[in-house]
Amino acid sequence: MKKLPLVALGAVAVLALAGCAAGTNAASGEDAGDGAEIRVWLVGTDTPDAAREYLKTTFEEGNPGSTLTIEEQSWTGLVDKLTTNLSGSDSPDVVEVGNTQASAFTSAGAFLDLTDKYEALGGDDLLPGFVEAGTYDDKFYAAPLYSGARLVFYNKEAATAAGLGVPATLDEYIAGGEALAAANPGKSGIWWPGQDWYNALPYIWENGGEIAVPDGEEWDAQLSSAESMAGLEQVQQVMTTASAAPKDGQETNPQVGFCDGTTLQLSAPSWVKWSILAPADAETPGCPEQEANLGVYALPGIDGGAAQVFAGGSNVAVSAKSAHPELATKALEIILSDEFQTIYGENGLVPAKLSLASTLGTDEVALATTEAAGNAKLTPASPKWADVEASGLLTDLFVKIAQGGDVEQLATEADEKIESILNG
Amino acid sequence: MTSLTSAHEAAPSAVTDERIIAPEPPPARSGRRKRAGGLTPYMLLVPSVAVLAAIIGWPLIQLFIMSFQDFGRAQVFGAPAPFIGLDNYAKILIDEAFWQVLLRSFAFCAVCVVATMILGTLIALMMMRLGRFFRLLLSVGLLLAWAMPALTATIVWGWIFDTDYGVVNNVLVNAFGLDFVQHSWLINPLSFFFVAAIIVIWGAVPFVAFTVYAGLTQVPDEVLEASQLDGANSFARFRLIIYPYLKSIFLVVIILQVIWDLRVFTQIFALQGIGGIKDQTNTLGTYIYQVSIGTGQYGIGGAIAVITVIIMMAISLYYVRQSIKDEEL
Repeated sequence: MKKLPLVALGAVAVLALAGCAAGTNAASGEDAGDGAEIRVWLVGTDTPDAAREYLKTTFEEGNPGSTLTIEEQSWTGLVDKLTTNLSGSDSPDVVEVGNTQASAFTSAGAFLDLTDKYEALGGDDLLPGFVEAGTYDDKFYAAPLYSGARLVFYNKEAATAAGLGVPATLDEYIAGGEALAAANPGKSGIWWPGQDWYNALPYIWENGGEIAVPDGEEWDAQLSSAESMAGLEQVQQVMTTASAAPKDGQETNPQVGFCDGTTLQLSAPSWVKWSILAPADAETPGCPEQEANLGVYALPGIDGGAAQVFAGGSNVAVSAKSAHPELATKALEIILSDEFQTIYGENGLVPAKLSLASTLGTDEVALATTEAAGNAKLTPASPKWADVEASGLLTDLFVKIAQGGDVEQLATEADEKIESILNG
Repeated sequence: MTSLTSAHEAAPSAVTDERIIAPEPPPARSGRRKRAGGLTPYMLLVPSVAVLAAIIGWPLIQLFIMSFQDFGRAQVFGAPAPFIGLDNYAKILIDEAFWQVLLRSFAFCAVCVVATMILGTLIALMMMRLGRFFRLLLSVGLLLAWAMPALTATIVWGWIFDTDYGVVNNVLVNAFGLDFVQHSWLINPLSFFFVAAIIVIWGAVPFVAFTVYAGLTQVPDEVLEASQLDGANSFARFRLIIYPYLKSIFLVVIILQVIWDLRVFTQIFALQGIGGIKDQTNTLGTYIYQVSIGTGQYGIGGAIAVITVIIMMAISLYYVRQSIKDEEL
């Protein structure tokens, strides 16, 4: 008999848990009555708080009774999440999407056609590469949001101690990273976790290689070409000799290693500066006291000058299933206004408009950003490229390269998989 | 009233002049009476069948249809989906990756189920012997493990096994002096599944322990005592008395564990995000996700899901047959 209460307790707990599980799965449908609620999906922490605040207050002042909610999503699994949410009845109204992912949705009809808003949103002042990424079948679906540049951040003290200056060529950069790692055992001369494939692209491009090139109607993957292979060999060299990062790790939270002194140098998007310099009591703490010690430069190319880095960045679009397309478009107009975009510039992100480039300022990061952005390059322009990214085959490839795998065999295998997705 | 119509012959009785007459056997064909109240049980079944049909049946039909279509991301947003017959199934069945995933899932499932059952049963046996206080303490601990969402648990375990800052590496290096500096637990597939198995087993043991414990309380003490007097040691008592009593419970729990561990998703998916190589660590659940939602090939993903459903149904069918057999005994 005395066991009965225990069993009962267990049963109650199980029922309660089942209830919880059902509760979290239920989509939270909102109905704001007369005033509409506009939901904006921003991805990652790139967009500064000042910009978020500006968007919310400006929109709500201009549209009394309506509210605007910003929901922050993570970059991991974004394509999946957008696919399921944009096609459902509970679609967000305005969404940010990675520029290389945009065509997966513009081609599928997930976004509202903004062609007649093109001039009002900025016209030819908008970043051309991003306009192209957001255009499908001559219709304009997704506007540029911002562009990021990849920069090299380094620990000035450690570099001086090792007698290193700012490298002029890619080879010097690699040699410098190896020298730093050799002088500081157990630390990263160039921090490079295996899943970070974006950083590998400049090595491929600088050696004259490509990921995939169009071949008539089809795509021809190029990772196993002699040029690309030379780049991948360099990637492996850096990952195995200069980096002490986990071979299968992600590139999230690079500031942790920089702040505890185990990362002496790393290549990362320009906004990482603010992650590193975040207050020590922030939700993701940084180390503001290191400001004087934080050096930055644009990744050098194989023959000097800035390397061709990956033009990471975002587009922003209105969901085709938005319940309030007009209000959503108004929110989009605020996002592309000079005031909003200036906040991006002031925070080290390249604004969506060419005319606002000067807002980046003239400090070290700004100069390096401008230099890197001028030579940025994109991934293959196929609507199926987003699927290549989402399949995880690139992260798998570079984890295996970081482990010291046979580059030729891995590149050949990856080429087969890339072609089967792009041409599938 | 003496039943003169009885077909039985009256048996002699000790009492004079009394004849004992066997009661009338129940009428052989009681079909009519059953049919009279026959609709009620079916009516009572209607609500649950309707709910099941709506939330499981309909998606299952959709999935089945989709598995015969060329269904990509454009179709999700409304483009018409052409039927392509058995193409999706043909593609899967000749794909080596699918067979590797299937084999991996079964192997992982087998290890997890065996370990969970052994650990769960041992804990249940221990609970029988513990005093009131420690039994309560253990129950609370088990409930907390059972209550922890799989995603939360995986992230916490992921930190425990973290390459740079994990406590496991730290202890192995500093307390035991082993060479585990920056050892990556997830990069090697076997070691990845070792960590995954710990997370899955840790989460599943409480259910087994509680269920078996509930069963153990039903084993009559007299029988155990009698066998003890006859000289049976504790292992013999478990094998010859407790196990036969709990056989049906073990069967149910094992089948449930097999199904749960075969379709495991959250733990593997979250762990793949932390580290490891996806194409060497996919199980059925994550493989379906990667193919359909990750790469936008919903048709092929649907076909894999249908195959998985068929495998699960075969296992469930075995369970249903076994439990019907038990009832008939």
